[in-house]
Amino acid sequence: MLLSACQSISQDVSLRLESVYEKTAMTSELLPPGLAYLADNIMTRQNILGVTKEQGAQWARGLDLPAQAETVFFAGCGYQFSGQLEALLSLIKSADKSFIGAELPMRFAQLQKKLGLNLPAVYSKVFSHGGEAEAKPLAAAVTVLRKLGIKPGYLAEKEPCCGAPLHQAGLQTKFAENARQAYGTLKSAGVRQIIGIVPYCTHALQKLFPLYVEDYDIEVRHFLEIVAEKLPSLKLRFPHKVRVAYHDPCQLARYLRLIDEPRQILKAIEGIELVETDWTKGEWATCCGGGGGFEAVFPELSGILAVNRAKELMATRPDIIVTHCPGCIMQLKDGLRQLKIEGVEVLDLAEVIAMAMA
Amino acid sequence: MEIMDAAHNESLRLALTRAVGSFRANVKKALEKYPHTVALAEEVLKIKEKAIPEMANLARQAIAAIEENKGKGYIAKTADEALDIISGLVGTKKLIVKGKSMTGEEIGLREHLEARGNEVYETDLGEFIIQKLGDQPMHILSPSIHVPREDVARLFSKIFGKEIAPDAEIADMVAAAREYLRDKFFRADIGISGANAVAAETGTLFIIENEGNIRLATGAPPVHIALVGMEKLVPSLSDTFKVSEVTWRYANYTVPSYVSLVSGPSKTGDIEKVTTYGAHGPKEFHVIFLDGGRTKLARYPKLMQALYCLRCGGCLYECPIFAVTAGHFGDKYFTGIGAVWATIVNEDLEKAAAIAYTCLTCGRCRERCPMKIDVPEMILELRKMLAEGEK
Repeated sequence: MLLSACQSISQDVSLRLESVYEKTAMTSELLPPGLAYLADNIMTRQNILGVTKEQGAQWARGLDLPAQAETVFFAGCGYQFSGQLEALLSLIKSADKSFIGAELPMRFAQLQKKLGLNLPAVYSKVFSHGGEAEAKPLAAAVTVLRKLGIKPGYLAEKEPCCGAPLHQAGLQTKFAENARQAYGTLKSAGVRQIIGIVPYCTHALQKLFPLYVEDYDIEVRHFLEIVAEKLPSLKLRFPHKVRVAYHDPCQLARYLRLIDEPRQILKAIEGIELVETDWTKGEWATCCGGGGGFEAVFPELSGILAVNRAKELMATRPDIIVTHCPGCIMQLKDGLRQLKIEGVEVLDLAEVIAMAMA
Repeated sequence: MEIMDAAHNESLRLALTRAVGSFRANVKKALEKYPHTVALAEEVLKIKEKAIPEMANLARQAIAAIEENKGKGYIAKTADEALDIISGLVGTKKLIVKGKSMTGEEIGLREHLEARGNEVYETDLGEFIIQKLGDQPMHILSPSIHVPREDVARLFSKIFGKEIAPDAEIADMVAAAREYLRDKFFRADIGISGANAVAAETGTLFIIENEGNIRLATGAPPVHIALVGMEKLVPSLSDTFKVSEVTWRYANYTVPSYVSLVSGPSKTGDIEKVTTYGAHGPKEFHVIFLDGGRTKLARYPKLMQALYCLRCGGCLYECPIFAVTAGHFGDKYFTGIGAVWATIVNEDLEKAAAIAYTCLTCGRCRERCPMKIDVPEMILELRKMLAEGEK
């Protein structure tokens, strides 16, 4: 419908769209290269960064998680590589400021050409020597779950990718295809219940999969829901007294409506004083600038938004900033770095809970 | 100006930060004082859901009512048609006073009339500043939100031919503009306005304002021309009151200074009961209802909600991208909704892609919106159309 309507005004764009549709949507000139790259990795390697499945599962080594279980922990692929992603993005940002001069209306294909920048090439260069996959929040979450008496499995190399960035990029057909495949993988592994942690993955598995997969019958819960439920029976104490500012990830607060849970948890931890921004908390929280892969589309603008959010949070004079999303952690660290603020750590809520249980 | 230049512009950022802060506080105050507004907004959403698919019929109904009132009504299928109708009415070498109208902005009305040898004055203070600066509006309600007072002083000194110090009181700047525009209202051949809502049953335009410029622009000249997007139509007068109240409340006003209700030309029957048109107000009243892609947009199930927009401007203050770039993020319509307009209404796919992929889909605008317009949902739908092509 859209194509035919636009042919008269922009034959060129229409033809391009058509050929894109025939071959693969990945090469659409209307699709920002950063997102196209993430999407391509999902389709070919089943993770956003195109690393091997073994690298993605490395974090769980030594945790002895059963490979088969009715309830599995879904690690996703954000936390494992945040270190590398950070390095990558700062590399892109420092490379040449002018290349992100994303004038609106900027044509992405033109942008790419003008820059002479091959994002995928830059990405894979960084990831080819992405060695240690540090993922403290994932290990922390597993430790917490075990202390709560839950012994989840982990599919490790067999864990499918949720494909959320495909959906985010507009590649719904591919997302649907991926979702059905992923569901098949999960079902054949005997999974009945998923405990999610990455907000994007959890949202995809819980809210989007049922729209594309017939008779979807896997129960998906978020890690925080489980912790909040067990809260009354827990004794939590942080190693030292701290003021904590909590940053709500968009996907947690506005998409999964997990607004009270993190606050209940933080307030239940002895030694933590929760400080909140005036206007920008809960459903009103300001996006960190990550915005579903936004840092891969407009790294520089994304950096400005990171600074803005870091400023808002710093106005509450926290000792620690806590959030619960690998993208937000990366962005907020970047914001603090740009503001030259030292001594304020950005921690994942899973780590904070684990520390308070120790 | 490039979006990144805007994002690096410290004074723009400061101006916007201040505006966002006071806007949020004002909306909160307004909603606390009149808490029924929240339920009223839900009611208005239902009115809109029914009215939008019917807007072509409502336009015909409104035109019939307006003509019964001895005005003239028109449906313009496209922006060009609207411009033709209006320039046909205006002609050339006329003095025109204009109220702020986003629909006018949409079709490039002022530029069109100026190009045909007319003298056009924007009378909304913000819009006046923008016009004189040769700039583009950066916010639907506060078009000059990005211009600091020192720049206004410099501009006014130049156009009014008298020195206004950069540190002059804002009240003095406002007074100078009032003085400059005063006689234009009374010398004008034509007044042009938009409307915030229209009652189809009576053909009544509701025009909300604070400055009083619209009362003058639509009351003093002998001809009043109104350009209205078809999505502004609702069935009854009482619906229109509801739409208006919700609009201004979410636009951060407890109550605006003025709401003009206009249904026809000025008339009197005071001499021998003979109805005579053009007493103190305009003798002629013309209303152009602009389709311009709106009925097409109404056929997209996930995108039609863009037409529920009351243009209260609340979402803009919640958009993290808008907070650093203002009106540079959008097309006619700012922020995420702009992408819908670019795709469907303006059929500019490349511009649409640029906006659609700049939206963070963070969803804070949806929290603020009285019509609960789901911008992220629309953005993802657009991305699907752009990335996959639409079958």
